[in-house]
Amino acid sequence: MALLQISEPGMSTAPHEHRLAVGIDLGTTNSLVASVRSGEASTLADENGEHLLPSVVRYLENGEVVVGKEAQAALATDLQNTIASAKRFLGRRVEELKTLAGQLPYNFAETESSVPHIQTHGGAITAIEVSSEILKTLKERAEKTLGGDLKGVVITVPAYFDDAQRQATKDAARLAGLNVYRLLNEPTAAAVAYGLDQQADADNKIIAIYDLGGGTFDVSLLRLNKGVFEVLSTGGDSALGGDDFDHVVAEWLLSESQQSESRDEYLLRAAMLEGRRVKEALSDTTEVSASLGDWSGTFTVEQFNTLIEPLVKKTLMACRRSVRDAEIEKEDIVDVVMVGGSTRVPYVRQRVGEFFDKPPLVNIDPDKVVAIGAGIQADLLAGNKPDSDILLLDVIPLSLGLETYGGLVEKVIARNTTIPITRAQEFTTFKDSQTAMTIHVLQGERETVEANRSLAKFALKGIPPMVAGAARIKVTFQVDADGLLSVFAEEESTAVKTSVEVKPSYGLSDDEIESMIRASMENAKEDVEQRRLRENQVDADRSLEALDSAMASDADTLLSDAEKQALLSARGELVAAKSSDDADTVKAAIKQLEKTAEFYVARRMDSNIQRAMSGHNITEFES
Amino acid sequence: MSIDFKQSYFTLFGLPQQYVVDEGQLAVAFRELQATHHPDRFAAGSDEDRRVAQQVTSFINTAQETLQSPRLRARYLLSLAGVSFDDERDTTSDMMFLMSQMERREQLEQVPNASDPFDAIDVISKEVKTDYRDLQEAFVAAYDSGDLEEAKQVVLKLKFFERLLGEIKQLEEKLEDDI
Repeated sequence: MALLQISEPGMSTAPHEHRLAVGIDLGTTNSLVASVRSGEASTLADENGEHLLPSVVRYLENGEVVVGKEAQAALATDLQNTIASAKRFLGRRVEELKTLAGQLPYNFAETESSVPHIQTHGGAITAIEVSSEILKTLKERAEKTLGGDLKGVVITVPAYFDDAQRQATKDAARLAGLNVYRLLNEPTAAAVAYGLDQQADADNKIIAIYDLGGGTFDVSLLRLNKGVFEVLSTGGDSALGGDDFDHVVAEWLLSESQQSESRDEYLLRAAMLEGRRVKEALSDTTEVSASLGDWSGTFTVEQFNTLIEPLVKKTLMACRRSVRDAEIEKEDIVDVVMVGGSTRVPYVRQRVGEFFDKPPLVNIDPDKVVAIGAGIQADLLAGNKPDSDILLLDVIPLSLGLETYGGLVEKVIARNTTIPITRAQEFTTFKDSQTAMTIHVLQGERETVEANRSLAKFALKGIPPMVAGAARIKVTFQVDADGLLSVFAEEESTAVKTSVEVKPSYGLSDDEIESMIRASMENAKEDVEQRRLRENQVDADRSLEALDSAMASDADTLLSDAEKQALLSARGELVAAKSSDDADTVKAAIKQLEKTAEFYVARRMDSNIQRAMSGHNITEFES
Repeated sequence: MSIDFKQSYFTLFGLPQQYVVDEGQLAVAFRELQATHHPDRFAAGSDEDRRVAQQVTSFINTAQETLQSPRLRARYLLSLAGVSFDDERDTTSDMMFLMSQMERREQLEQVPNASDPFDAIDVISKEVKTDYRDLQEAFVAAYDSGDLEEAKQVVLKLKFFERLLGEIKQLEEKLEDDI
């Protein structure tokens, strides 16, 4: 059902040129999809009018995959197969997961891959696949609401996401069959929504976006200048969010209830869920009652604030660093915008207000603002607004460098450099006749290889044998507008271009992605089958209901005993068929019942007509 | 839509080729160029358009970064005048200068022990920034008078200052984080 495109005067878009594009906020806790319709950006709701899609995916025993609220309901009971907060391990290695907040109740599979696989009813699942299920659900929602195929999407990522996390996000989109126009940083998306909301015909207005979500924290400083959004600096922590607030409260609950030593996964999960409930309740009141198993007690907002203070302090440290990186003073910041569900916590608002010396803006819906900004950007990138002045100039959040002697890292591109950017670094050989070289690309601010994130290792082969120091190897870093890195290398002193083999230190190979896509297409076939089965089961129920109510009213008057038996027998067959797994079996049984009941239907019609007509003359029915 | 990659950064932004740069003018020119060439303008376009946009905007971004940095701008001016730099080998042999740099470093090391570290680092920071500005003026003097060798020496010294300013910044951060 296509919605009408109503253009505002002066904003005409030739209807046939309008390309369907959406923005997707793939959040740790909730995900949303938004689009520009009739000149305005808004989030899209599901059949029940819900805009937020909980980022929870459950893998059922029968192969079905459930996404959203229905999956969320099973968080406390089906621990191993219900995956929440998958964003926290997108782009992360197995070793890194051990340091993630909270006990993860998942069954991690032993694989060769550095990519964590969780054992579920759906097989060994990665965070990429979980995320793709969420994206698929939003894609379906969007295509249904907008009435057509999506030409492209903008997906938001935390500004502080590194290369591996960004690449994993793009892989998830690819798996979901989405064409990604751009990976957009969440604070920048929020700034766009804010900028347009505030009708800011701003001239050199500096704003701060404080984005505290379920699992990630970003702070970005932007300069707004007549539609140009220029990121001055960005900082954050890609492993800090509302989930960590839940966790400290959960630990308090376990300690109060004398169960800190417990390893019972159901208890730990229950503690997290109670922690979340209590946290949310304290946004509106100063004291709540809390319970865990047999224990119950009260929990005050003061106790809560004390528990979360170290986490909030971490965010403010990142804010301070970003202000410094931007080379501005705090006083230069005109507005501080709160984004993300976790900014609802009163203590967070208070401390942020104290830090920036002004009350933060909280009137923009913190849950929807990122999706809306992404929707606006998607509309632009699709080409629907050729006259628009909006321009987003973003930066790389973390420095990129190369390993040099002694396990040190030399920075090639500094953090907060405006992207896209290309930069080259020259190296030389240190042994005579050296024909190969390993180039190790890293991301981060620290000095040593161990303290930074390994992105890729290069084997540069075929260097012409020369005296040590004579070869000139140029390594070129290219960061695109998504913040993704490509590396090229060549030996310059000779005309010979040497071969380069890039092995990502993390991630799924193209082959692995291809096989995932193939597997999901097979699952899609199964999904279709599931739907058919369900539809036929519903039809069967209808037929049974109709038969039962008819027989209740006139079986005794219209049917002989033998006829009744025949009908009841066919009915029995349908009931049996209904509980089978096969759509065709059910359909056949429905047809059989209908055939058997044909005579009964005819007889009922005759008797009804006779009753209607009794006492009347046929001439009365002539018009 | 491509541009001439051989043009100087000054030409690109429509600025006169000299050390003193009008920051406002640079900013306006930068935004205008980005508005035309940014990859976002070609997101729904052809692969080629996108590739070219990536190259062009990378060039624009590098140009802007160079002209905004006092040291990189000075170095760039010299490279346009044919002066070459060898990052591995070039260094200053001005002993007085190197000693004063060492003194500054020692002062920084003492800061955490001061009775008011923030005050102490503030004093050092102001002094270093003044020296840094003086050095930039020395560059202009040498460059304008055509003494490119001397100008190059000044640029090498500017690098020391850049590093020193970076260390001051890190120390300030550390002091603030430790509160």
